[in-house]
Amino acid sequence: MAPGVKVSSAKVRPFVAPARRHRTTGDSGSGGDHHERPFISNGMLAILALIGTEAMFFAGLLGSFLVFRLSAPFWPPPALPRLPITVTWVNTFVLMSSAVTMGLAVRAVHQNRQRRMRRFLLATGGLGVTFLAVQGVEWIRLIAHGLKLSSGAYGGTFYTLIGCHAAHVTAAVIWLACVIVAAMRGRYNARNPGGVELCAAYWYFVCAIWPVLFVMVYLM
Amino acid sequence: MLERYLWFPHDVSTFGPKIDNLFLVIFWLVMVVWIGTMVTFVVFLFKYRTRPGRKAEYLEGSNTLEVIWTSATVVIFLVLAIASRSTWAEIKEGGPPGDVFNIVTAKQFNWEMTYPGPDGKLGTKDDVTIENELHVPVNKVVRIDLTSKDVIHSFYLPNLRLRQDAVPGRTIHIWFEATETGQYEIPCSQLCGFGHSGMQGNMTVESEADYAKWLKDQYAQSH
Amino acid sequence: MSSSAAAAAHGAHTEHHEIGFVRTYIFSTDHKMIARQFLFMALFMMSIGGLMAMLMRLDLAWPDTQFSFLSIFPSFIQSDNAIVPNTYNSMFTMHATIMIFFVVMPILAGSFGNFLIPLMIGARDMAFPLLNMLSFWVGGVAAVIMIASFFVPGGPAAAGWTSYAPLSAVPVYSGVDWGQNLWCISLIVLGVSSLMGSINYITTIINMRTKGMTYFRMPLVIWSLFITAILLLLALPVLTAALSLLLFDRMAGTHFFLPGGGGEPLLWQHLFWFFGHPEVYIMILPGMGVTSELIATFSRKPIFGYRSMAYAMISIAFLSWIVWGHHMFVSGMDPRLGASFMITTMMIGVPSAIKTFNWLGTLYKGNIHYTSPMLHALSFVSMFVIGGLSGVWMACTPVDMYIHDTYFIVAHIHYVLFGGSLFAVFGGVIYWYPKMFGRMMNETLGKVHFWLTFVAFNCTFFPMHILGMGGHMRRIYNPDQYDFLKPLHGINVFISISAFVLGAVQFLFLINLIYSYFYGEKASDNPWHANTLEWTTPSPPPHGNWPGPVPEVYRGPYEYSSPEVEEDYLPQSRRLDHAAVAAD
Ligand code: HEA
Ligand code: HEA
Ligand code: CUA
Ligand SMILES: [Cu+2]
Repeated sequence: MAPGVKVSSAKVRPFVAPARRHRTTGDSGSGGDHHERPFISNGMLAILALIGTEAMFFAGLLGSFLVFRLSAPFWPPPALPRLPITVTWVNTFVLMSSAVTMGLAVRAVHQNRQRRMRRFLLATGGLGVTFLAVQGVEWIRLIAHGLKLSSGAYGGTFYTLIGCHAAHVTAAVIWLACVIVAAMRGRYNARNPGGVELCAAYWYFVCAIWPVLFVMVYLM
Repeated sequence: MLERYLWFPHDVSTFGPKIDNLFLVIFWLVMVVWIGTMVTFVVFLFKYRTRPGRKAEYLEGSNTLEVIWTSATVVIFLVLAIASRSTWAEIKEGGPPGDVFNIVTAKQFNWEMTYPGPDGKLGTKDDVTIENELHVPVNKVVRIDLTSKDVIHSFYLPNLRLRQDAVPGRTIHIWFEATETGQYEIPCSQLCGFGHSGMQGNMTVESEADYAKWLKDQYAQSH
Repeated sequence: MSSSAAAAAHGAHTEHHEIGFVRTYIFSTDHKMIARQFLFMALFMMSIGGLMAMLMRLDLAWPDTQFSFLSIFPSFIQSDNAIVPNTYNSMFTMHATIMIFFVVMPILAGSFGNFLIPLMIGARDMAFPLLNMLSFWVGGVAAVIMIASFFVPGGPAAAGWTSYAPLSAVPVYSGVDWGQNLWCISLIVLGVSSLMGSINYITTIINMRTKGMTYFRMPLVIWSLFITAILLLLALPVLTAALSLLLFDRMAGTHFFLPGGGGEPLLWQHLFWFFGHPEVYIMILPGMGVTSELIATFSRKPIFGYRSMAYAMISIAFLSWIVWGHHMFVSGMDPRLGASFMITTMMIGVPSAIKTFNWLGTLYKGNIHYTSPMLHALSFVSMFVIGGLSGVWMACTPVDMYIHDTYFIVAHIHYVLFGGSLFAVFGGVIYWYPKMFGRMMNETLGKVHFWLTFVAFNCTFFPMHILGMGGHMRRIYNPDQYDFLKPLHGINVFISISAFVLGAVQFLFLINLIYSYFYGEKASDNPWHANTLEWTTPSPPPHGNWPGPVPEVYRGPYEYSSPEVEEDYLPQSRRLDHAAVAAD
């Protein structure tokens, strides 16, 4: 069937803009009159740029973390509590699987399978929220154990780095929520998957930097 | 030697002349480049000014020229970098063994100079600490441990062409050898608060005998 | 096709008439209006930054002197009619912050970027008009916060525009409390604004070029703005990260930049300069682009080595990430690191050399028209060469150990930033004024302003090299406190007097702007006989930029004095039959 054809092409280059998606991707269509459909849609370019900025932002924070980490005689400092490794392993798994479900949702929208798409979007959101919830609980316990923002470079970097990431996950979840609402209204389909793809791109980014943070902040 | 014609303060250190030389080398290099560029510039501006009925010549560029001036500048810069390398290494990395040792601690807005007491060792309780007065013997290698109590200051000896930031939380080793007796200023050259302007000490370079005598007196007064 | 386009354009017209005052002039999403807004905001901020400079010069020539007229200024500038150390510190801090973040960047990236990109690549507007409008208003908020910091207790930030920690990290060290916080917040907000801007620029340039506008047919100013946008996108977040850490240190009791608790003061410098050096090229690249346009247009000659000009800018962009250490030669950073930064720093002189020589090549055998924009472009070249060459001394580590933090640096700063960026701004404003406002700027007044500025500028900043050689430190409010600087007093007086002239003559520019807006002669579509697309539409262009269809492009932007045609210019959009064949 016709969508089937779309699938394959979409599988190969998910970023290629299919026909007529300007409206959803923010392209006001006000470009040169006679100009071909772009290879990467405006919306996707914008998200990629945003991701570039975010990456540099985290690079700055991680760089600073490494400076402290490598110059510190003891890490973590004797007095302070250790970070919860096992729980965070589980939590990492949660976040990573949310990337998978998101991928399946994108695939579903390309295949025009509405219910499947909505289900996977909801699953992704659920996993994201779980991740945040678990982290919230862990933070409360850590603070109870006396690890504060002000307790040296150790506490400082922990809360700034992980906090910044948490903030990004929150933002991604909120965005996803909007996408889900739109999806419920049947806004997206194989010809018009932009909204889902953009949200997904950002979601992948948020998931992708987590392992780095996890290894550096928790395991190293 | 530059003070004679380039406003530099009188230079009294062993590596000062090397720095002044580098300055001069770059000065001539830059003069050649600058005059060269500017003369061509002005000649073009005059020669090719618009005149009625004149049309510019349609030239899109020349790869040979591009290659020539690119490689030329690369070479010049590399030579310059390599030439500067050794001087830098001598001043900043290692240097000769010290004859005299001091600790200089910067704080808002004074220099604390610490001298070894009779036991000749620093960090013992017979050390002598004086504010803003640095005395050193002439023609001796002075080694200073530089640090700061609060913010970043900068230990600047214009007459010795020496400058080093004093960073809280770390001790930085510097050395110099003064070649002429006299009084010299030690301004702070890193913004360190409202007292930055005017934060300065005095350096007295004197004969070894005077230095020893002065240090003894200071010890007598302080203990 | 063309009919539909005409229809679209017609729609644009009617829309233009329907939308009310607020949507047209204040919350406009039209890139041309946003460009004007950025220009006016920057000029206003320039008057403040300039005023700060004037007061600094007043103090440096006659320190600790009471001037009764100072009493008109509030207490964050003077106390009992004299300029005192801490107010002096906040003055050069705000002077630099305003001039860099709220004058040069808003005009070059904000105003020129917004105005030129769609018009020169043949787009009807930016990719995200709404985001574009937000970018201006968020920037405006940042400006308001920065101005507000003047009025908080403790006065505005006073730790230099580089805000080295720990001085900037602990209120008691600088005596400034909320001023520094607001400084950080304002710059974080500005970061958001420029993020929105650069996203727009990048997307628009990549996706919305008109038919035939290949990358290597883009005008160099578009190339420069493209590269600048990428640098902004990648450099500013690093500053944002650093500022956030600094704010935490100030407000949340962390110790990131304080030696106690495992902090590291030098980390701030590394973060700041890792942003800061790309930043300085962000401020010169668009200037280089503008200069290339003007020099090609007014020499009536193709730019010399178009491609190597583009590649030079690209390599500047790459190199600018690995030279930041040249600001930290004497900071206590490992000397061996300093040595390697010396090499990279010298290497970054090479692409600048390429550009300089190509500008000379463009003049060669040209047919040079000395219009006021051209004069500014030419002085950009000569002044940038001076500023750049002084950089060679500073790049040489042993020499820098002596001249670091002296007026030699201040001279360098102003030769590249005023002699470079700001002359490009003047030239660019005069050149595109007809397209922006539909009238020509007054040529005579323009020339008078240029020559007075040019002379006063050099009298102001060239002697600063001498001060630097004399060892005259920066950021000191009273040189007479030092015996070894007393002989230089006369030079300081001379500089200050020239600076007052320099400041005063800027009003000529302001007057010219305002006068020409009302009485300037009406501008034709293409008053300079230029090739690029913005000159193919009425001045000022209608909403949607082209009344008819967007023009197609058949050739590069610099086909001046081409043998193919009689007249000495050949617009990118003119269809010559064989060229048309080539295009298809
Ligand atoms: C527009 C801004 C701009 C630009 C373009 C530059 C360009 C350069 N800058 Fe500058 N710089 C600043 C803005 C800028 N700078 C500012 C604001 C500061 C101070 C920050 C602060 O502390 O407050 C600073 C400080 C600064 C320092 C730190 C000094 C110190 O604090 O001790 C150094 C050191 O290396 C330096 C070097 C250079 C070099 C090598 C270039 C090169 O890119 C220049 C290259 C150009 C040329 C070389 C001229 C043209 C070339 C030729 C004519 C070819 C032939 C030349 C030769 C063969 C020599 N700059
Ligand atoms: C683009 C950047 C820029 C510009 C344009 C200027 C312009 C000027 N600067 Fe600036 N300056 C810096 C960037 C700049 N400066 C930086 C980065 C520093 C380092 C700060 C630090 O150490 O932290 C510095 C530091 C600095 C110092 C050293 C302070 C110190 O270290 O103690 C001095 C001293 O003379 C100085 C002087 C001047 C003067 C006289 C001008 C003159 O050119 C100003 C001329 C006046 C004007 C241009 C304003 C008039 C304009 C109008 C009237 C039209 C405006 C429109 C309206 C009124 C609506 N500057
Ligand atoms: Cu101490 Cu400046
Ligand atoms: Cu730099």
